[in-house]
Amino acid sequence: MMECRALFFVRKIIRQLNRFALVTFLSLIFVACGRPVAENVNLNVDRSSSRSGVVPMRIITDDLGRRVTIPTKITRAISLAPSVTESIFAVGAGDRLVGDTTYCNYPEEAKAIQKVGDTLNPNMETIVALRPDVVFVSGASQLETFTSTLDKNGIAVYVMNPSRLDEVIHNLEQLGIIFGSEDTSQKVVGELQDREMKITETLGTYPVPDEQLSDYDKRVGQVRVFVQISKEPLFTIGKGAFLNDLLRSAGARSVTANVSSAFPKLSKETALALQPDAIILSDSPDDQEPNEVFKDSPAVKNGRVYKINADIISRPGPRLIDALEEIAKDLHPEKFK
Amino acid sequence: MLWFGSLLALLLVVVLIIGAMFGAERISLTELSVQQQAILFDIRLPRVFLAAFVGASLAAAGAGLQALLRNPLAEPYLLGVSNGAALGMMLAFVLFENVEFLRPVMAFIGAVVATIVVYQMAKSRTGMTVERLVLSGVIVTTFLSSVIVLFTSLLDAAKLRSFTFWLLGDLSQTTRSGVYLCLVAAVVGIIVLGSQARALNLMMIGERDALDFGVEVGRVRLLVFGASALLVGASVAASGSVGYVGLVVPHIVRLASGSDNRSVIPFSALAGASFVILADLIARVAIAPRELPVGAITALIGAPVFIFLLRRN
Repeated sequence: MMECRALFFVRKIIRQLNRFALVTFLSLIFVACGRPVAENVNLNVDRSSSRSGVVPMRIITDDLGRRVTIPTKITRAISLAPSVTESIFAVGAGDRLVGDTTYCNYPEEAKAIQKVGDTLNPNMETIVALRPDVVFVSGASQLETFTSTLDKNGIAVYVMNPSRLDEVIHNLEQLGIIFGSEDTSQKVVGELQDREMKITETLGTYPVPDEQLSDYDKRVGQVRVFVQISKEPLFTIGKGAFLNDLLRSAGARSVTANVSSAFPKLSKETALALQPDAIILSDSPDDQEPNEVFKDSPAVKNGRVYKINADIISRPGPRLIDALEEIAKDLHPEKFK
Repeated sequence: MLWFGSLLALLLVVVLIIGAMFGAERISLTELSVQQQAILFDIRLPRVFLAAFVGASLAAAGAGLQALLRNPLAEPYLLGVSNGAALGMMLAFVLFENVEFLRPVMAFIGAVVATIVVYQMAKSRTGMTVERLVLSGVIVTTFLSSVIVLFTSLLDAAKLRSFTFWLLGDLSQTTRSGVYLCLVAAVVGIIVLGSQARALNLMMIGERDALDFGVEVGRVRLLVFGASALLVGASVAASGSVGYVGLVVPHIVRLASGSDNRSVIPFSALAGASFVILADLIARVAIAPRELPVGAITALIGAPVFIFLLRRN
């Protein structure tokens, strides 16, 4: 244990000298010592508060309840998920992003930022070389092992794990605090909440008489929707998908909400038996039309098949409001005249 | 041997009925609603029949190649035939995204090209030895695997999602044309293999002896390789990589019926059909309404059975 402490001290000094190659090498030895991550963070705090001339630090708690030590003033951040990138731009801190992933294509400026790999395969060396104050990771798409690797390299990792609209909004508020841009984030959050409120008010309790609704929907006032993620093989959304809540807000219900796993491959027999009233396609290259099994479903017969941009419905970011508005208007057109 | 053949045929009939009776959705076989009819006739039965044709094709191809190469490990996967077909499919995916009929064609071409390459590599001035052939097969297989991996890492994720699933062995993407194609390939391929069974028997004693008996060794090789490429190409195009069928099934059949290829080849086809129908049944119902890739099931059953057989002998 003593060797580990000594090594850590050496490592810390070297890090401040920006000697990255050595850091990586030493941290390998450090990893071999098997020090628990939490202790690492605490030590970090002790040192920064006891020494003068060091950047002022603060401790924040992320979505997984981890205590993360970051500089009070963030100037260099890396995002490892497109949803996080969109959120950071939304709170007006996009100019402080020094790295993002190849999937980060929105807003336009995000494309010009240095790529550190894709969401599943970020390049460790590139990340270290960019000297980030903090790396943002999405719990929805990131590998846990990668988070711990970054932790062990002494890089602060903040995990965002939103699955509902209100959690996305909470994340935007958090980002405002982290980047010190509360003014912008509060304004953005206010706008998003207004738009959500408007949808809820417009939909109200859904009126019953509509020939296109099944008996069940006439009772509960919801459209039974099948969300098709890809046509062949047939993938859909299941129990764990964040879209379930969004659909509920849009006056709809996923017919596969009880199927386990977030993105299950569904039996075509089951799919045929579901008889959805509407189908939402993710509009990716392999998802341009409903699967054959739906050819006799009410959705296809009544022409209630809609495409929503795959990026928007697969990212728990600020554009979820766009998806909500679009779905609500598609499914309840008479309400939005 | 007649009793064993009848037993396998009976087994296939029983398995076909079980496969038609069970699935993710419950169906009463006496009174069908319109919807249940669609489930049974449009989805379940085509898939069960496809499983049968794929199983028969792969097992027969395995039996034929094992006899030809006098190597119990010979299998479409080991000899590069399957990976050739897989690469052909992948090229069809990448180059002609929306032309579906080209996929089986490209798979067949891939299987044939891989077979020819392996065959040519195995040839030497002193003639072709079985060792060289198996070695070339292994090298071509690993090379093709890396090309496939390279493609999957370079190409767009959404474009290749269906391909990656298909690569694991997946019978859910059954189309009617795929079923007919596999039927034709299975019938033609198995008849050709069966017609060479006598010659293969003689070649198993030794190729020199076979020559003395008047067997045209070169012609037999060509026909067996060609038939295997056809069988494997069609199966891979329709269902991806369903592994271990061509390896395990002929072995079990030989244990029960001896190594006369006139019975091993047709019996392997019958047993292979039953095996894949059952494996796909598990894939369909185990975690319904979700599905498992059938290739994982055949490997999960096949690998332990194979180890058991190895230890017994």
